[in-house]
Amino acid sequence: MPDPFTLLGLEPSFDVSLSELANRHRDLSTALHPDRHANASASVRRQALGRAIDVNEAYRKLKNPVTRAEALLERLGLSANPETQKADPSFLMEMMTQREALGEARSEKDGDAVETLEREIAVQQKQTLERLSGAFTSLPMPGEVDAVPSVLASVHEALGELRYYRRFLDEVSAILDDLEP
Amino acid sequence: MAYSDKVIEHYENPLNVGTLDKADDNVGTGLVGAPACGDVMRLQIRVDDAGVIQDAKFKTFGCGSAIASSSLATEWIKGRTVDEAAALQNSEIAAELSLPPVKIHCSVLAEDAVKSAIEDYKQKKVTREALAKG
Repeated sequence: MPDPFTLLGLEPSFDVSLSELANRHRDLSTALHPDRHANASASVRRQALGRAIDVNEAYRKLKNPVTRAEALLERLGLSANPETQKADPSFLMEMMTQREALGEARSEKDGDAVETLEREIAVQQKQTLERLSGAFTSLPMPGEVDAVPSVLASVHEALGELRYYRRFLDEVSAILDDLEP
Repeated sequence: MAYSDKVIEHYENPLNVGTLDKADDNVGTGLVGAPACGDVMRLQIRVDDAGVIQDAKFKTFGCGSAIASSSLATEWIKGRTVDEAAALQNSEIAAELSLPPVKIHCSVLAEDAVKSAIEDYKQKKVTREALAKG
């Protein structure tokens, strides 16, 4: 699949405007809608459908900060998942503690405690997103000099943390769904 | 992707889930994570004076394969000596659970967790012996 930024005609940036993203997706989806090509040849219709699928996939990727960051790294020819990457021990310890607290809140059916944990993680997630955004603005664009290893390391670290937060918040949603009367 | 029967068995009835007292001198704790997927795994061992692993417990927040890998790892190392346990290879876990290539990293995580628990136990022992000598 082509690069999602190119596909949606957007300037590649981590700080992409979500409303502009939604507008591009809407406009392109409308233009590619099968109803618009009802009288076209089979090959044109097939092409439009294929592009519509790519546009949806690109939109889905860019909406989520984790997959958006991965797409940016891919454009730069950089790995999103270096195999050597290890999580910071104190971060892991904190996540383990939070996950255990969440498990406890779940077994006690304590919705308030679950929501408190959700808020805490949401705050941390926001801080990590800001850090990631800052790191991305320090990364060079394709064709420029090589990425600075320390900047790249902080991109990878923040990206790793975001994946933990996302897993945590997914779990929160699942628990809150279960707790609904 | 379909999980193998063995993964499902361990996922539904994981063995050795729990916690050992981290402060106990004979307990080693390993905490590892996979930033690529957001998994976190804690594995603990309690070792007797002869260097045999008496008990092993784990807690894993992650996918079914990560839970199954840690469940199997704890089961395998119980009753073995620390040195035997340190030789455990992720490939043995992956083979036993028939993990597909995309899930091999889950078995790597379990191997890392065992090794880091052993390291923690040994580190504690060295410190204790050094203190005893004064």
